[in-house]
Amino acid sequence: MTGEARLPAVRGMKIRQRAGLSGLALAGVVLAGSALADAPPWSEATRGASLDVETLDLADPADRDRLIDRGAHLFIAKFTDLDGAGRPMATQAIVPTKRRRPPPMPFQRLAGPDANACASCHHDPVIGGAGPFTANAFVTEGFESADFDTLDPQFSNERGTNHLFGAGLIELLAREMTADLQAARDAALREARQRGEAVETDLVSKGVAFGSLTARPDGRIDLSKVDGVDTDLVIRPFSQKGVMTSLRQFTVNAMNHHHGMQAAERFGPRWTGETDFDADGVSGELTDDDITALVAWQATRPPPGRRRDLPPDWQALAQAGEDRFSAIGCAACHVPALPLDTALFTDPNPFDTAGTLRPGETTQIALDLSAGLARDDRGRLLVPLFGDLKRHRIADDQRDRLGNELLSQRFVDRDVFQTTELWGVGSTAPYGHRGDLTTLDAAIRAHAGSARDARQAYEALDEPDRQSIIAFLKTLVIE
Amino acid sequence: MTIERVGGSRLAAALIATVVAALCAITPAIANDDAPITADIPALHEEAASAGIDHVYDGPWEYFVGGGVAAFDCNADGRPDLAFAGGERPAALYVNRSPTGGALAFEHRPLGPDGTDLTAVTGLWPVDIDGDRIIDLALTRVGRNLLLRGGPDCTFTPANKAWSFDGGRAWSTGFAATWEAGNAHPTLAVGNYVDRSAPGAPWGTCHDNRLHRPAQATETPDYSEPTTLSPGYCSLSLMFTDWANRGEPALRISNDRHYYRGGQEQLWRLTPDRPPRLYRAADGWRPLKIWGMGIAAADIDGDNHPDYALTSMGDTRIQTLDEDAEEGRPVYTDIAFEIGATAHRPYAGEEIRPSTGWHAEFDDLNNDSLIDLFIAKGNVEAMPDFAAYDPDNLLIGGWDNRFREAGDRAGIALDRRGRGASVVDLNLDGMLDLVVVNRSAPVSLFRNLGVGTPDATRPMGNFLAVRLEQQGGNPFAVGSRIAARIGTRVLTRDITVGGGHGSGELGFVHFGLGTAERAELRIRWPDGDWSHPYRVFANQFVIVERGAPDATYWYPPPDERPPR
Repeated sequence: MTGEARLPAVRGMKIRQRAGLSGLALAGVVLAGSALADAPPWSEATRGASLDVETLDLADPADRDRLIDRGAHLFIAKFTDLDGAGRPMATQAIVPTKRRRPPPMPFQRLAGPDANACASCHHDPVIGGAGPFTANAFVTEGFESADFDTLDPQFSNERGTNHLFGAGLIELLAREMTADLQAARDAALREARQRGEAVETDLVSKGVAFGSLTARPDGRIDLSKVDGVDTDLVIRPFSQKGVMTSLRQFTVNAMNHHHGMQAAERFGPRWTGETDFDADGVSGELTDDDITALVAWQATRPPPGRRRDLPPDWQALAQAGEDRFSAIGCAACHVPALPLDTALFTDPNPFDTAGTLRPGETTQIALDLSAGLARDDRGRLLVPLFGDLKRHRIADDQRDRLGNELLSQRFVDRDVFQTTELWGVGSTAPYGHRGDLTTLDAAIRAHAGSARDARQAYEALDEPDRQSIIAFLKTLVIE
Repeated sequence: MTIERVGGSRLAAALIATVVAALCAITPAIANDDAPITADIPALHEEAASAGIDHVYDGPWEYFVGGGVAAFDCNADGRPDLAFAGGERPAALYVNRSPTGGALAFEHRPLGPDGTDLTAVTGLWPVDIDGDRIIDLALTRVGRNLLLRGGPDCTFTPANKAWSFDGGRAWSTGFAATWEAGNAHPTLAVGNYVDRSAPGAPWGTCHDNRLHRPAQATETPDYSEPTTLSPGYCSLSLMFTDWANRGEPALRISNDRHYYRGGQEQLWRLTPDRPPRLYRAADGWRPLKIWGMGIAAADIDGDNHPDYALTSMGDTRIQTLDEDAEEGRPVYTDIAFEIGATAHRPYAGEEIRPSTGWHAEFDDLNNDSLIDLFIAKGNVEAMPDFAAYDPDNLLIGGWDNRFREAGDRAGIALDRRGRGASVVDLNLDGMLDLVVVNRSAPVSLFRNLGVGTPDATRPMGNFLAVRLEQQGGNPFAVGSRIAARIGTRVLTRDITVGGGHGSGELGFVHFGLGTAERAELRIRWPDGDWSHPYRVFANQFVIVERGAPDATYWYPPPDERPPR
């Protein structure tokens, strides 16, 4: 049930699908996509019938696969009008927002809806992967000028497509880090109240420093020294900006933005008073269980690994490059591995807020993601992400290539981004948050701001040494 | 408001019943709009007894009206404490010991020092009169009104003499306060009801109301020269409100038509350094005669002007500034019928007789970002033409701009005669709780458990709680407007002292944010200056200090067990 199967071409590319999805691999998925419970096999609806997650026993591998297969199906399905694709009277905003008038075009590549399927963009080198420049998305809050039809960067930020491999582990790391930071805050508050004086505490989790805060005895918090995380101390590990808390939140956002497929948990009657908020004639486009299935599929994408078929010279050079990567400071932010206490992925996420289902609001799932992970000397699982789940200023006045956006996003400055996790970087060119850097060398040379010293150290290396780092990075692949 | 001590008024009551019956007859147009509530309905769990609150508002005729509660923090722990009017019984203070997010718990304390007569209290309002950042209390009474100066740890001392405040001898039922431009101390308005000593009382014998403007440039508040607001029309609620958005509060007064002759609802213009002046028909003011008992304000139609709920017998009125009104002209139109907020008869039980409304308060009790409306209901005493079982209303605001009743499903449809109330987050869990003062019955204390049943509740929408602070004599920035932008919508709250029925609150201002996980705040400070935007995340308590670059997060104290 593992390995890869060749899939039909998508946009003329060979797409590989993890065969473990089901015994029938993609052929089965496609068939299921056409096989609505009450629809003929030639139906042009692709969404398919929802699973009843509550009836599943996820300890049973067969039920686990059914859930994950359902998620795969939804990830690949090219949604149609019959499914509810399109959002003629709703914007791409994450808060349900009505358009003033229908857009002139039901689909368009800028404001969206801009894709037929998740896999339209997340497919390189396999489904769930990244996307090339042609799969860039144009990100805006969807409130003012939601129907922009221009590349002018004052209306949107152009972003490359991230891969989703290892995403479940990323979310688990973020949850543990959030818990650490908030526990530090709460402890400081308790101490300040007990002592009757201000208490400053460092915010550190898994070795990553997020500045400090000062708790005052009256319960107020001075957050002016907090660094790289939102003021509520929630690590939001998804998107290039690091502004989405969970796969569930990301999924609900993206389904509306890119496909006009609206999840009931945010766009349904509870929060909008309507069953068809986007007024496309289809109610209940995505059920809670559909979103759960999509989360399960994404969460179980295996973590990227390392190429094992290297010739000896590359092997040696990559090892030297990895050492050099750390020596010149890259690993300060691209931390090779972060320790994880538990790899049991549960959904919903306890740090999500209203509009994304929270624990107690739907059937909880639990999936063990520990397979294949090494452990440290304390028995903790090591997640080899090459990242720190922290935001950094990544441009400065001398080199602003990575600060080329004009719009801040969700309170995050325009030139501040979360450290890109480098696992899988050898499989996911092009680079940079706009996907406009064609080589790793160019991406490294674009670093500035907080990464200026490391970039300068890289540039100070002689060419063979720089090549060693590239050789190392190219071993980090999605297998 | 009608009082049935004297056997007469049958004609008036019959007239009311006729009007209400006529309304009911044409109600089907609305009744057909029976779309179910799709938003969360909060589960409100009554737990006064287990919380340690044992208090009754009671007394003879004079206490058929009144019965207020003040919600404010008197010991600087962030939790709202409660002070209750008692009518012929002493007013009482209950210090909040509720653990954060837990069951409600209160500790009974004396409200004033020994020897202070705290009987005959009809209403209480929190306000920092002397600007020392400790909240004081204004008490209306049947007789001499009281100002109590707040001290450390929920102590209070009478301050009438120190602040040269003449409490009068009237039957006072309403209060409001505002800081007029340039003043270090608030202007106080006291609403009076029937003049029982006048010939022919109680009909047509309404007391005038009083305006207490502070003396200028005194360090200590000095109210030695009050102004009479005449005519008075037996008021039961007053509210300072900047209805025109020109930085100048006006005084809206709701009056009981049962006792006045030739009276109406009133709006006084207060221009600094000039005598108050009533808006008249020539100004666009339309006479409105109701049994006015309580005022609440909120911008429910999004026109950036406050709308007003006026409780009465039978229909509740919702007054909105007429869209054709010229600037500066207070032309109001009633929209209660079209938005489903008349609440004119009980929604539960077999009663078809009209309701009697008292305290009204707009707030978002289900955190869906839409404003809801609570109305305390209850027969005056035993008026046969009005519903005997008259449960309080919880009108849930909908996306179609209509309100729908959820009182029974929320669990507040008790058989008690409600009077004053406060909608306030007592256990600092981000969900608004509810306290209702009942006539001749125990106080009702409802803990908001979230959506669902008391046995199985889930969280509701996101919330934000905001408190303002500024330097000077108005430290809690009464008169400010808080605007919270979420997406394309702007939610507004005005910080006021007054309105309701005998009740007021001062502290964190609550916003339901629905699905928004963050908000951008802007503050219009009392002097009209707008702040820069403050970016805050949802589900936080935030304090905005005037001039500070960022809002400050505040966290509730850790759990404390209630006193044994």
